[in-house]
Amino acid sequence: MVFNVTHITTYKYNAPVNYCHNIATLRPRNSDGQELLDYKIQINPKPAEITERVDFFGNYITRFSIQTQHDTLKVTTKSKIVRDYGAKYDSFFSDACKRVTMNDALYVLKGNDPAVIEAKQFILESIFIRKIDKSIKEYAERSFRGDRSVFDAAYELMQRIYTDFDFVSGFTSISTPIEEVMKEKKGVCQDFAQIAIACIRSVGLPARYVSGYIETLPPPGKEKLVGADASHAWFSIFIPGFGWVDFDPTNNQIPKNQHIVVGWGRDYYDVPPLKGVVYGSGKSKLKVSVDIARID
Amino acid sequence: MPTTTKTSWLNSYTTKFGNDELFNSNNDVKGYWKKLFTSFDKLGESGLKGRQKDIDWLLLENGVTYNVYNDPKGMHRPWNLNVVPLVMHRSEWENVEEGLKQRAELLNLVLKDAYGERRLIKDGVIPHEVIYGHRGFLRQCSGIEYTTDKLLSIYSADLARGNDGRLWVVNDRTEAPSGMGYALENRSTTSRILPEMYTRMNVKRLSNFFKEFHQMLIDASPSKKDNPNIVILTPGSHNETYFEHAYMASFLGYPLVQGNDLVVRDGFLWMKSLQGLKRIDVVLRRVDDAFSDPLELREDSHLGVAGLLDVVRRKNISVINPVGSGVIENPGLIPFMPAIAKYFLNEDLILPQIASWWCGQEKEKSYVLQNLSNLVVKRIDRTNRESIYFGKFLTPNELESLKQQIIERPYRFVAQEQINFSTAPNLTQDALEPRNVVTRAFVIANGDHYGVMPGGLVRVAPDSKTVRVSNQRGGTSKDFWVVEDHPIKEDKNKNWEQKSSIAISGLDDLPSLTAENLYWAGRYVGRTLVNARFIRTVMRQMAMVQNRDEKPEAVKLQVLLKAVTHLTGTYPGFAEKPKEGPQAMENPYDEMLSVIRDQDRVGSLAHTIGMFSNSYYSIRNLWSSDMWRVFEDIQKLWQAFQADENPSILKILKVLNQLITRLIAFMGLIEESIMVQQGLLLYFIGLQLEQSMLTITKCRSLLAVKQETQVEYDILEYLLTSHESLNIYRYSYRSYIQLEHVVDLVILDVEYARSLTFLINRLQKDISRLPHSRKDQQLTSYQKYVFSAYSKLRLAESSKLCSLKSKDDVVREELDKLLGELSELLYKTSQSITGTYFNHTDRQTQMFTQSFPF
Repeated sequence: MVFNVTHITTYKYNAPVNYCHNIATLRPRNSDGQELLDYKIQINPKPAEITERVDFFGNYITRFSIQTQHDTLKVTTKSKIVRDYGAKYDSFFSDACKRVTMNDALYVLKGNDPAVIEAKQFILESIFIRKIDKSIKEYAERSFRGDRSVFDAAYELMQRIYTDFDFVSGFTSISTPIEEVMKEKKGVCQDFAQIAIACIRSVGLPARYVSGYIETLPPPGKEKLVGADASHAWFSIFIPGFGWVDFDPTNNQIPKNQHIVVGWGRDYYDVPPLKGVVYGSGKSKLKVSVDIARID
Repeated sequence: MPTTTKTSWLNSYTTKFGNDELFNSNNDVKGYWKKLFTSFDKLGESGLKGRQKDIDWLLLENGVTYNVYNDPKGMHRPWNLNVVPLVMHRSEWENVEEGLKQRAELLNLVLKDAYGERRLIKDGVIPHEVIYGHRGFLRQCSGIEYTTDKLLSIYSADLARGNDGRLWVVNDRTEAPSGMGYALENRSTTSRILPEMYTRMNVKRLSNFFKEFHQMLIDASPSKKDNPNIVILTPGSHNETYFEHAYMASFLGYPLVQGNDLVVRDGFLWMKSLQGLKRIDVVLRRVDDAFSDPLELREDSHLGVAGLLDVVRRKNISVINPVGSGVIENPGLIPFMPAIAKYFLNEDLILPQIASWWCGQEKEKSYVLQNLSNLVVKRIDRTNRESIYFGKFLTPNELESLKQQIIERPYRFVAQEQINFSTAPNLTQDALEPRNVVTRAFVIANGDHYGVMPGGLVRVAPDSKTVRVSNQRGGTSKDFWVVEDHPIKEDKNKNWEQKSSIAISGLDDLPSLTAENLYWAGRYVGRTLVNARFIRTVMRQMAMVQNRDEKPEAVKLQVLLKAVTHLTGTYPGFAEKPKEGPQAMENPYDEMLSVIRDQDRVGSLAHTIGMFSNSYYSIRNLWSSDMWRVFEDIQKLWQAFQADENPSILKILKVLNQLITRLIAFMGLIEESIMVQQGLLLYFIGLQLEQSMLTITKCRSLLAVKQETQVEYDILEYLLTSHESLNIYRYSYRSYIQLEHVVDLVILDVEYARSLTFLINRLQKDISRLPHSRKDQQLTSYQKYVFSAYSKLRLAESSKLCSLKSKDDVVREELDKLLGELSELLYKTSQSITGTYFNHTDRQTQMFTQSFPF
């Protein structure tokens, strides 16, 4: 499937900004079952300089600065992506994936196989998922048990988050601690992803945060998916001996072709779509719009 | 085993510990210590104590301080240096040097590897958590290529002598090692106070090390040039070791800057100077890793420069040490150092380290949990004192809580054996006493190898029971002498070729924050002086009122009190009706006390003195030691006054007199101690602007309204007194005090140095020397304002200013109008100068506000 994704972020300032430095994680990375065919970024006003690099996790980071006075910043990206995730999706349900129990997983994680070493850092604390309290561990242990399949446990965790938590936008912000989300059982996609990640890490398994988009046009006769017209986020768990498997707790499904990956990291902190330091006075108003069009 | 020494001085020196620097393994006093104490014997007890007093005095004189966070005793504690140095023979030190060089190289390789290929992790030499689980591992820095040969340019290690007689590594410091400046200051002090011992003992000099240090920074410049622009980046005057930052800046001749002084544009790092932007090549960084770039690292930091890391990535700047080097300030590495040494160099470690157990491994963890009460536990990424747990001092509850923390995140903890380190003789009040010592050694990159300072900073435990050694806990320090048997032939020339161009090129390159601080130092000095003088005049009048609570019936006193409020800006005060509560006029004495003493009240004398002190501390690298002494006198005077709960009116007058005298001494010293190119001009501009503004306010509130003849006469006299112009008036006019003459003298006189016209004329000349001022056709806006103010004054006539439109009028409209216009013009001048030169007023904000629990 081929998509055209248009992502527009607009900041309006109530007082002029003299200059700003920004970092964007907007260029979708190539990953299993996904290829970037074309990508353009447009920034208004025109940046004085712009560079792109690949970060620690393999994501594309765009850095730019604007040195002319402005009161609106508009960043538009247009990505053309081919997503063919069917085979990958099917592999999750294979025996090779499902047979790995938590005991197996923890045993393999003690080793120093390159893939395992790479994955193990996602067990450690991260900027936003720092203190993992008892309630999170208990919540996780209801699904994760030594003799149980990791895949099944993760699948169930996703289902439980979907059932137990309410999607309420505006209740949380990016600085809401996960303990509070856990307590209130309310939040948005990034909260649910981070809750799942905290749960998985609490039992000693690697989990990472995936940032991306979701196509919202509902196939005929089916319900419209939540997360419309905005960036989306979900989580991925490492099953030793098999690999990473993505889960979307907001929509209670394993991502297939409607999910488009932009980047991943330990949590939201590693892959914010756009951030920056602004020199000037006053406040800003943010508007984000995402449009995903299917070409074929 | 108790040991007693034999020389007469040392008869009383007894050590219980058996591990003392003085003695060799046979309990004999080491030869070079004997030599030192023979010299001390010559001085005798009182002589040595006298030298200690000289040291204390010299350090106080030079304003050597360090700051203690949240210290009830306040900021800027005097630095302590004990008269007895720590002595070590060169033959022993050379071996230590080799060990330090090896360790520096190993840590350098670990640092390169952590941000590069990470082979140590991939090849199983170190567990991944030691790096990935360390909060100082900044993924943003991964893959950056550097232009310097060594990534770790400055390395510092804390050393202590174990029971085996060897020197052990206790801590590694790599993020922004401190202490080098204090070591230098200690050396300069002891070599002056103990010249005969210093010469006789053949002490190795430090000058060559600092020469190499300077060269290291020059070589670090990404674009190879002879005169790279080097700056020292400090977190500011509240930082613990700010004295050292300022000291190093003036010793090495680099500008001392704060994050606000720097800006990233077009992929380069620039310093905001008076002239404009100046490209910087090398930053000697004293700001912590996480705070150095609010764009990519801690968003809430105002100590760094947004975009700095990207400039590093582009190889357009060298930051020394590089951002991210905190990851090797990491006790988690200690257990793996022998393996790392084998892996990289195929060598054994030269310097022993303390036995350490990293809890990320099962076996080690269970050992630690079982033996917790005998161990010292540290976080791998928090090496500050607050995060070190001494098992034997913990209560059962604290032990349990520590156990839980370890179990929760075992990889974050390391436990170490508690070791008794050596003591060294320290002069206390009564005698020489043994104290635990730790020596901080300094290593710097020199091309493809490392060089070691032949000396260091020795820190001494505060009492004989304490093993922990730290300045924060009130210990003292020592100079560290590496001695030779024979006189040393060294180039004694301490001054080397000055290669950093930026420091000496004058006013244009003055960092704008420094310029602003000088400008405000001028303004606050002026404000303190003018207000103190006026308040003194008022208090003298109040002293004549018998009963303190008496309402000021006399109109003249009311006029004076209102002027106090206008002058200090402490509204509502005497000038306006308060929204609630009693009127100040009802209880004038209390209000005056508040205007003098309430440091939380903006505009009060106490508050102004506080602001003056802040601006002074922020640029202390510019001040001379004489100024420091006078400044300290002012501080002491004011602190003692504030401590007096109920000072009498006479006491207040006395303090005001002393304050005024010291301020004048201080102002005189400023003029002769700082050069115009260093920014004295900015100080003058601030001072004249402030004095002009206050003169205007004072005249306006005292003269604009006509009073009865006798009242007016008294007020004119007060004005002249507070303006220190009564004698001049009598000399010039030899007459009864008349309004017109007073206006002529205080406002319009062209030659009298205290007149407004004179001040503004001088201001006009001074601002024309600012880098952006114009001498040709079109004046800059601040020049226009001052020119306009000067013209208005020149065109004014005192007879017209003093006249009333009609007999019944009470307001002298001409005078009031002129003073109002002048006030407005000077306000605009200040705004324009600020906007043009102190252009860091743009507030730094994040697009998102996030709170990061780093």
